[in-house]
Amino acid sequence: MYKKLMLMIRKKSIIQSYLILQIFCFVICFFITNTFAYQDTLEKVKSSGVLTWGFDAEGGAPYVFHDTKHPSKLIGFEVDLVAAIARELGVKVQHFQNEWDSILLSLQRGDFDIALNGVEITSDREQAVLFTRPYFVYAEQIVVRASDNRINCLEDLHSKRVGTLYNTVAKQILDEMGDVTVNTYSGQIEPFKDLSLSRVDAVLVDLPIASYYAVPNPQLRMAGEPVGEGYYGIAVRKEDTALADELNIIIEKILRSGELKKIYERWGVWNVSQEKLFFHEGLLQKYTEMPPSLSKKVSLRVTTFLPTLMKGALVTIGISILSMMLAVVLGLTLAIMRLYGNKWLRRVSTAYTEFYRGTPLLIQLYILYYGLPNIGITLSAFIAAILGLGMNYAAYESEIYRAGIQAIPKGQTEASLSLGMSRRLTLRRIILPQAFRIAIPPMTNDFIALFKDSSLVSVITMVELTKSYSMLAAASMNFFQLGIITALLYFGMSYPLSIYARRLEKKLKYYDRNQ
Amino acid sequence: MIEISNLFKQYGEQPLFNGLNLEVEKGNIVVLIGPSGSGKSTLLRCINGLECFQKGCISVDGQKRYGVNEQSYNKTDEDSMVKDIRRKVGMVFQQFNLFPHMTVLNNITESPVRVLGIGRAEAEATAISLLQKVHLEEKAQNYPAQLSGGEQQRVAIARALAMKPEAMLFDEPTSSLDPEMIEEVLLVIKDLVSEGMTTIIATHEMGFARDVSTHVIFLEKGNIVERGSPKKMFSNPKNKRTKIFLSRFMK
Repeated sequence: MYKKLMLMIRKKSIIQSYLILQIFCFVICFFITNTFAYQDTLEKVKSSGVLTWGFDAEGGAPYVFHDTKHPSKLIGFEVDLVAAIARELGVKVQHFQNEWDSILLSLQRGDFDIALNGVEITSDREQAVLFTRPYFVYAEQIVVRASDNRINCLEDLHSKRVGTLYNTVAKQILDEMGDVTVNTYSGQIEPFKDLSLSRVDAVLVDLPIASYYAVPNPQLRMAGEPVGEGYYGIAVRKEDTALADELNIIIEKILRSGELKKIYERWGVWNVSQEKLFFHEGLLQKYTEMPPSLSKKVSLRVTTFLPTLMKGALVTIGISILSMMLAVVLGLTLAIMRLYGNKWLRRVSTAYTEFYRGTPLLIQLYILYYGLPNIGITLSAFIAAILGLGMNYAAYESEIYRAGIQAIPKGQTEASLSLGMSRRLTLRRIILPQAFRIAIPPMTNDFIALFKDSSLVSVITMVELTKSYSMLAAASMNFFQLGIITALLYFGMSYPLSIYARRLEKKLKYYDRNQ
Repeated sequence: MIEISNLFKQYGEQPLFNGLNLEVEKGNIVVLIGPSGSGKSTLLRCINGLECFQKGCISVDGQKRYGVNEQSYNKTDEDSMVKDIRRKVGMVFQQFNLFPHMTVLNNITESPVRVLGIGRAEAEATAISLLQKVHLEEKAQNYPAQLSGGEQQRVAIARALAMKPEAMLFDEPTSSLDPEMIEEVLLVIKDLVSEGMTTIIATHEMGFARDVSTHVIFLEKGNIVERGSPKKMFSNPKNKRTKIFLSRFMK
């Protein structure tokens, strides 16, 4: 009794100290990465002769993207704009590719000097970074299938399924509408792909993106007038006022000289709205005050973000359980094929296992969701997620079961056969129940791994716990507390599973001599 | 009852049986003796279909099983034939091979219920009476790991008997037991043969062999060196190698 109590105390304190350690590490990382930012950036840029520019070129046309003719070359209207700015500063440009979702975060961390990549000026973001005067006036554009005439204005989007990009003003507009089912994407190509496949009814994105992708595609059309005008600004770190002032002067200069217009015209993004850049002062103020709904701050109160995280957690649990069930059934079939099948079944099983183990889950998911439509199979994101995870983990499960079955002594099969039982009955009644017990610890391991890997399905538009977190965190610029809470949610779900597996294993151990 | 004619068996290139012949009449108690590797176990496993053989024929109660190289061999027939033969002969192994995840009672009832289709209640009643026969009725709800080696082997005997076999094969049933447990298992086998069960036993227990058997066969390197009644074999073996082998055991 005493021993048991001591053990419990020790166990508890191990967990506690582990958690404390983890939080400690978080805090340290937080401070270390922040301290790098405290040097005057304008001075640094001028003395080193290099301006480091943060952007995301993944599906980034027409802003910044890889030239299909010379894939190592970056092109786009923002590339030309940054080149003009650098010329004015008398420095060279250094590129820094960064996920768009976390571009402001990386700026804060000090990874680059400016973030210039279609970052909309919102009052949320102004809390975290400093914006220059606008360099572009954008608006949101609805795109639909050419054959679809149900949707002609923003109001028509009610109760529809609409695709948009993560962490954008368009997403906020759709969220504010309440009854719109929003599919969010990281890349700019995927929403249009899903629109063609009828996975979404419409796409709402910034006008330059819409014109670049929708206009040349005869299957798509732009519906109605652009809505929700706003500004792109160059983001710098809050303390870099000198840099921002310098940039403002440069923007003013190339705007007045007509160079900016030339650049925009070259890329087909100049329109009358851009004239407003000349009178931005009043308008900008108007904007930041104006649509209050859009600039609603995501507060850190538990009541605001917990429902979103919980919803994400439910999706995570659902996907994990369903795909694990698939993995178990398929894995067992593969193991039996490999152990008892003829030459061909054995080969198929081995090939399956090797293929699925030897290729990244991420690519398997992309192929299932975006690749299969090319051969006429269009899966929903949920089905693709479960198939992707389940089929991938089946490869690992099959190896676990194979090892478990092979660990059962030959004498068990012989005794069973000599009692007149068939091979099938022997497998079902004698071998598998014993193999199952051996397989429990590695299966638990796999289930917990799958549980965490389920965050990968966010690439095919599933919003599960990790995605909910990154969206909330990006919107509120609070990666720290939200991160700890999300990590705790994961832990709170996986730890009971380990405990249950340990109990089950113990329960099935009853027939061992040393129990 | 059991007839082995012209049996050829080899493992890869290594020949074991070269035209072995053996006939076991109903009610016979045949003891196989011989050094390790002489083919005692393999012979029993061939009879029960756990091993295949290249040439020859093994017939159990009229059911004929042919070597894989014989013209009469047919894979489909083979499977059903082996099944029939296994229903007629029970087998007890050196390592007991009880099912560790089942209670003693379920070990015994599993096959009658699943294979013969006997009702659970009836199968359990039979199992209890068989457990009484091996003096283990109080262990019915225990798991194999909770039993001693001797007890496990007695359960294994009861389990084989539950299929109501017409003959029993014992493959060194006491070889992996501690000396003090050998006797209890041998007593159970003695009881069984006294009821007239046709039996083939591979064993190193010479005293037991002399007491219970009707025929003794001395095997060496897959050949039957000498065969005869226990009296003749143990008191007056003709072959020199039989003499040498027995002298090591009969001190």
